[in-house]
Amino acid sequence: MQAMKQFITTDEKLRQLVHALSKNAWNIISAGKEGTNFIYINDGKDLVINADSKPTKLSAKEFFFPKTEPLFFYKKNHDGVDLLDPKDVLRKTVLFGVKPCDAAAVPVMGKVFNWDYKDEFFNRRVEQTVIIGMACSYSDVYCFCTSTGLSPESSKGSDVFLKPAQNSSYIAEAVTPKGEAFVVEFSSFFDAANENDVKLLLNSPKGPEKKFDANQVKQWLDGHFEDPLWNEVGETCLGCAQCAFTCPTCHCFDIVDESCGYNCGRRVKNWDGCQFGLFTKHASGHNPRGHQPERYRQRISHKFKYYQDKFGEILCTGCGRCTRGCPVGIDIAEIAQEINKRNSVLV
Amino acid sequence: MQELIQAAQAALTSKEAAFIIGYALTPDGKKTRPFIARTPDEAAKLVFNHTCAHNLAVYLTRIAKPKEGKMGIVAKGCDTRAIVALIQENKITRDQVYIIGVNCSGVTADVTLPFGADNLPSKCIMCQVQVPPVSDVLVGTAAPYDKPKDAVTERMQLLEAMNEHERFAFWASEFEKCIKCYACRQTCPMCYCEQCIVDKTVPRWIESSASLRGNFSWNMIRAFHLAGRCIGCGECERACPMDIPLMLLNRKMGMVAMQQFNYRHGVNPEEPTLVGSYNMQDNNEFFK
Ligand code: SF4
Ligand code: SF4
Ligand code: SF4
Ligand code: SF4
Ligand code: SF4
Repeated sequence: MQAMKQFITTDEKLRQLVHALSKNAWNIISAGKEGTNFIYINDGKDLVINADSKPTKLSAKEFFFPKTEPLFFYKKNHDGVDLLDPKDVLRKTVLFGVKPCDAAAVPVMGKVFNWDYKDEFFNRRVEQTVIIGMACSYSDVYCFCTSTGLSPESSKGSDVFLKPAQNSSYIAEAVTPKGEAFVVEFSSFFDAANENDVKLLLNSPKGPEKKFDANQVKQWLDGHFEDPLWNEVGETCLGCAQCAFTCPTCHCFDIVDESCGYNCGRRVKNWDGCQFGLFTKHASGHNPRGHQPERYRQRISHKFKYYQDKFGEILCTGCGRCTRGCPVGIDIAEIAQEINKRNSVLV
Repeated sequence: MQELIQAAQAALTSKEAAFIIGYALTPDGKKTRPFIARTPDEAAKLVFNHTCAHNLAVYLTRIAKPKEGKMGIVAKGCDTRAIVALIQENKITRDQVYIIGVNCSGVTADVTLPFGADNLPSKCIMCQVQVPPVSDVLVGTAAPYDKPKDAVTERMQLLEAMNEHERFAFWASEFEKCIKCYACRQTCPMCYCEQCIVDKTVPRWIESSASLRGNFSWNMIRAFHLAGRCIGCGECERACPMDIPLMLLNRKMGMVAMQQFNYRHGVNPEEPTLVGSYNMQDNNEFFK
């Protein structure tokens, strides 16, 4: 089998790479200094490549699916309306230090954005972006990538994937053709790795303990649309969108028109969340998901059943953000664990 | 916590309360979360400890009112202010709630870290209600705890020292971060409107986009709607995933209500609300 193309680089070289990218007018995004959020940088010294850092508050999805994105602008003129394409020229973009649980979400979301309608807004951002993923040695009680088919070393979704090695160096794998082209374009910052280089790799991070079996969860969900569990887990949910908006895979949006005055305005695509009561409310006033437990069932079922049924992917990468930030401590992994338990009793 | 469980079981057994909104341990046993007990057996799961930061009064307007019996609720002193405020605002009546007051020794700001002076929310640093002022039954003990200087007060002084342009720039940079998740609204016991103004579409008063203009209107309107009504529980700020310092706004409004009108919401259930009453003696020099 042809091994994945491996290179060796160093912390210092990656900082110089930032400099080179910046000179070539690339957008450069790195996890923020305190590891809180992704930020745009221009200077190599602001690059944060830290395998130990806690996942950022917001996932990397905002760079592919922004919280608010104009679809077109309009302007009335005397005999009609002019429509203006809002799509500015996107600069080539590189995202540094993306964790496996964020990078993997991009192709997962890509399925729904390319199902019948091809979402050009999402796609052009993905096309313009090189994702430099990185193995992760952080894990806390909320993490569970290992239960969703991923691991702290999975390169799914990354174009280039970094694994820490000795002496502040990294083994870089070119995962996709786009990643390979990137490494070739900036070859002065990447050397081909030989066998000895690969021996410098640090031990693989252990990662969070596996909490549940996602297949078993799906099996149970197949037969329990109605179940007392939904009330137990859903009745204290307050119906915000903290979980959905910080989630790297949640992709629901709302389309609204906003005027800037009498003669002009824009149509925008905004993040929306399935735990809001309004999310499914019909104009008639009827709401098929009228109560919070029904909405909560949707959240779990979409993640672990519907998306699998339709696209063969789990709509969750186990990043733990939804639980880390839930104001009332609702824990998605624990619910999946509970479902797992109920399923094994049945079998 | 035997005392708490007994009080809850007694209220459920006598049918005085139809359910008790309280706290239960999460399966890892390390923290707590809201839990609604409907039977004496379920009430055996109730606990109270330093991780019970949530203000459960939010559920009083979210949950279906029982046909028989009262809504039982476990409440810290600070939470009882929300209950009193809801009574003042005619959302509930005093005899619809059965309050199990818990004497409180402070809660953690971050539930994953141990309780201590460096892990206290601002509300506990400023607390004057470790013993709940209103309750039907009172349980537990209120122990003294070390309080550091209050960072919110210090930040407030910095903000007050700014001129209006600087202050505008400060809030613009904070509101820019808002993602319109409405966790602030959903966790707020005083945000109970059946239709929030931000969700109105005919006409649309506030843009739903999470862009600076829409974020500014959202956060400012929410602040105005809570002027003289916020009871300072800090739930909005605790819930905000973007760490926007909402308590700076809320604290300031509370201070103005006190300075200008000598009014504090959620203290006396008989007292008319600040915005719902008019007094010829009210200070009106700010009308310019
Ligand atoms: S963050 Fe928690 S309270 Fe908010 S919608 Fe999600 S599960 Fe419900
Ligand atoms: S559902 Fe929760 S754990 Fe799964 S990807 Fe979304 S935020 Fe992360
Ligand atoms: S403010 Fe007072 S009553 Fe409320 S949690 Fe803190 S110490 Fe307890
Ligand atoms: S605005 Fe914030 S501090 Fe005030 S009552 Fe609501 S949640 Fe509590
Ligand atoms: S909780 Fe924070 S981010 Fe969410 S809507 Fe409120 S202010 Fe905005």
